[in-house]
Amino acid sequence: MMATGGGESGGSESAGRESSRGAAAGEMPNGWLRRAARQHSTELGLLVAIAAVVLVTTIASDAYRQKPLQNLHEILRQTSLLGVFALGAAIVIISGGIDLSSGAVIAFSGTICASIMLALAPLDSTGAPDTNHLSAGIYAAAISGTLAVGLLIGTLHAWLITVVGLPPFVATLASLVGLRSLARVFVQEVTTAITPTGKTTQIYIYDQTFSKLGSTWWIPLLIFLALSFLAWVLMSRTVTGRHLYAMGGNEAAARLSGIRTDRLKWLAYCLGAVTSSIAGILYTAEVGTSAPQVQGLGYELNAIAAAVVGGCSLQGGVGLIGGTMLGVLFLRVVIDAVAKIVKVGADDYQGMIVGFLVVLAVAFNELRQTRRGSGKQFFPGALGVLAIGILAILTGTITTIMVGRNAGGVVTLVTLVGLGLIAAAERRAAARRLTGPEA
Amino acid sequence: MGEQSLISIRVVSKEYPGVRALSDVSFDVAAGELVAIVGENGAGKSTLMKILSGVVTEYSGEVVLRGAPVRFRSTRDAETAGVSIIHQELNLVEQLSAAANVFLGREMRTTLGLLDQAAMDRRAGELLAQLECHIRPEQPVGELRVGDQQLIEIAKALSLATDILIMDEPTSALTESEVARLFRVIERLRARGVTVLYISHKMDEVFRLADRIVVLRDGRLVDVVAKQETTPQKITHLMVGREIEETDLSRPRAPGAVVLEVEHLWLPWPGHARRWRLEDISFSLRRGEILGVAGLMGAGRTELLECLFGATSETPAGRITLDGREVSLRHPSEACAAGLALVTEDRKRLGLFSHLTVGENITLCTLDQCVRHGLVNRAQEDRRAAESVARLGVKTAGIDTAITSLSGGNQQKTIIGRWLLTEPKVLLLDDPTRGIDVGAKAELYRLMDQLCRSGLGIIVTSSELPELLTLCDRILVLCEGRQTGEFTRAEASEQRIMEAATNRRGAVA
Repeated sequence: MMATGGGESGGSESAGRESSRGAAAGEMPNGWLRRAARQHSTELGLLVAIAAVVLVTTIASDAYRQKPLQNLHEILRQTSLLGVFALGAAIVIISGGIDLSSGAVIAFSGTICASIMLALAPLDSTGAPDTNHLSAGIYAAAISGTLAVGLLIGTLHAWLITVVGLPPFVATLASLVGLRSLARVFVQEVTTAITPTGKTTQIYIYDQTFSKLGSTWWIPLLIFLALSFLAWVLMSRTVTGRHLYAMGGNEAAARLSGIRTDRLKWLAYCLGAVTSSIAGILYTAEVGTSAPQVQGLGYELNAIAAAVVGGCSLQGGVGLIGGTMLGVLFLRVVIDAVAKIVKVGADDYQGMIVGFLVVLAVAFNELRQTRRGSGKQFFPGALGVLAIGILAILTGTITTIMVGRNAGGVVTLVTLVGLGLIAAAERRAAARRLTGPEA
Repeated sequence: MGEQSLISIRVVSKEYPGVRALSDVSFDVAAGELVAIVGENGAGKSTLMKILSGVVTEYSGEVVLRGAPVRFRSTRDAETAGVSIIHQELNLVEQLSAAANVFLGREMRTTLGLLDQAAMDRRAGELLAQLECHIRPEQPVGELRVGDQQLIEIAKALSLATDILIMDEPTSALTESEVARLFRVIERLRARGVTVLYISHKMDEVFRLADRIVVLRDGRLVDVVAKQETTPQKITHLMVGREIEETDLSRPRAPGAVVLEVEHLWLPWPGHARRWRLEDISFSLRRGEILGVAGLMGAGRTELLECLFGATSETPAGRITLDGREVSLRHPSEACAAGLALVTEDRKRLGLFSHLTVGENITLCTLDQCVRHGLVNRAQEDRRAAESVARLGVKTAGIDTAITSLSGGNQQKTIIGRWLLTEPKVLLLDDPTRGIDVGAKAELYRLMDQLCRSGLGIIVTSSELPELLTLCDRILVLCEGRQTGEFTRAEASEQRIMEAATNRRGAVA
């Protein structure tokens, strides 16, 4: 990734020369290619990074070599499930907002979908609803009902943000905690009312066709690709898309340009919620269960991470659907790689990987913006010293868990000394700048 | 000379991406001197002062203070060395009291380490009294007039034992009596041996206060002259460096029928002592006429235009008639549809979309006219953008260029182009030449004249009176939200407009 960053700055220099030479240079295939590479540096970097991770995993573990197709399907399926609502998150972020509610909306939508199915399912001989064979009508009702609920949630967010004036962070944070709790209560109420066995904390749907919706690898993929195409058309080819970018980049100017920013926000938050609802249906189908206490827990951050890694700026106004798709793929490939190489549960490491990648991606973007040689210090003062200590402890602990105690000790020491040397060099450089060139 | 001078600026240069803000500027300032730094917008005055005061920390060249080279890394560093700056936009925390602002970041403490409010109030009161600023130290700064707020900044500088004070266009928001008071304060500071660097482009102030005058143009030092050896005309000539042609502006225009009529417009100001941002404003605008709106900072110029454009958060009262039909505009989108266009004052914050290209910035408001089957037709969009660029003479490498790479004047033309595509009946321009160099200003004047002759009604505000006097057929003067004068081109003079603009109803001490 670093290498592409260097290439990018070189590219912009040459582009500057190009424009000074006039239009003729722009027509040269080389110039066109270079401009495309510069415009899509994030995407190219991600492609390279994805290829690198896959290559390393193939070398380090035999899983990919033994069952290539099965692994490919699994990665694509997981990517698609995450990708569906990462698209929504990306649109909200590009429009200058943030949606923290995706995970909770996934759980809530799963509950709504399963509840509708349970309520409409035919009764068996014991008088209990039989969810083994559900009709197309029940599907239609459950899915459209769930999507409608998603629309309502998005509308509520938009009202809280545009009319009441809550910051998006607060409005969707309230949903994050509120909706999951509501879903848990809802499951208990529904099971008490409908099933003869009484109150439970989960709803099971046994229908095999429904299960295929989430577990057959190409169905989520198809849904993801279709939604991505629609999102791409919306963001890149329609007036609304242009206005979403404009609002994300400068909301006050957008309003003063006669753009109805309140309506755009409604659209963005509805897309955020509805894509999460779709994901909620798919996740519920995958396991045949609506279990709101665990379903989609923390997924909002995965979606935001995928969008940010894919090049969306949390300041708004910047980001591409293609980049977001690659961001999702990258995230899943890395999570899978760790699972294959370390041979432990991928889920346990997921949080760490997501956290690490987000910091890395955002820091990388930050680095690209600050000019080379501007003398930015990463470890200044007491805070810098503390940060070095924390990073050493962190890397040491992770290595100890994954490899062993001796390796952990070595890594701690190496990190400490390495970062210490960097900090010392930074301080020397800063002191030199302060005294001026003659000194 | 280097030995006696207090400050010595040696070949200082500063480059922003794509712009050379300062190139090889060198001059000296002696202790106790008042040096005026003059130049057009974008000449590099503010950048130079920001380097001196530690706001801008990356530059090439050298600053020598009292014989020793210094390189400030922050305003703190500069303040420790006795250098303070009073910015044009004041840096005060409006919610805090005057005393708290004076001691912000250097609060006095009791022996227990707690805030010593009483001591700070007392000391701040003394400092303010020295500055003829008769306010209570515990009064929240947000309640004060701009002139008093400025004195709080000066009090802050005094509390820091400042001996070099930099003032960036300090009178731009002041009434006449406040300006007089400020000048008295400056005299008193000089008597105490404070060295003052005074940025301004107002010749009368410069010639009243300065010992020497430093003239900057396009980032270069043009000349340093003693006041006795020059005249305002010579200095202006040095600043501008070229003559502005005004020939086609003086040709009389023939205004047509009334297009916009405003009657008894009131705009509330909730929670403020004045209660109204605008009080009882009435005027009319004809086709092919340029109406100027003059007034000091905070007089309500921007609010008036925003009111007409439906962009205020409060609902105004009164009657607005556009083309004979009464309108009630509650959102800029309704104003657009009705045939109004507003080019905002703060280009960067309220006008530009820095992530979008030049072309996208131009077509933003009218993109729905380039739609086929629900999708944007890129070719048509590009054609419209290119036509606009050509029509307004925007200097850009192409319509795919980043808008941020254009100069201020060309950015402004881009935004005007955006609005002209909406085919407005009335164009509202809020201080359109702010931060634009002289050449581009002349081009904008010609453009406005040309648009006006094609039948557009234009309302323009400006902080520069000479600009309004050259451009406008009529000038409306506001003072603290009230309409205090209206002059035709023949009646208007700088003197009369200033009188109307400072004609306050009883001074608020």
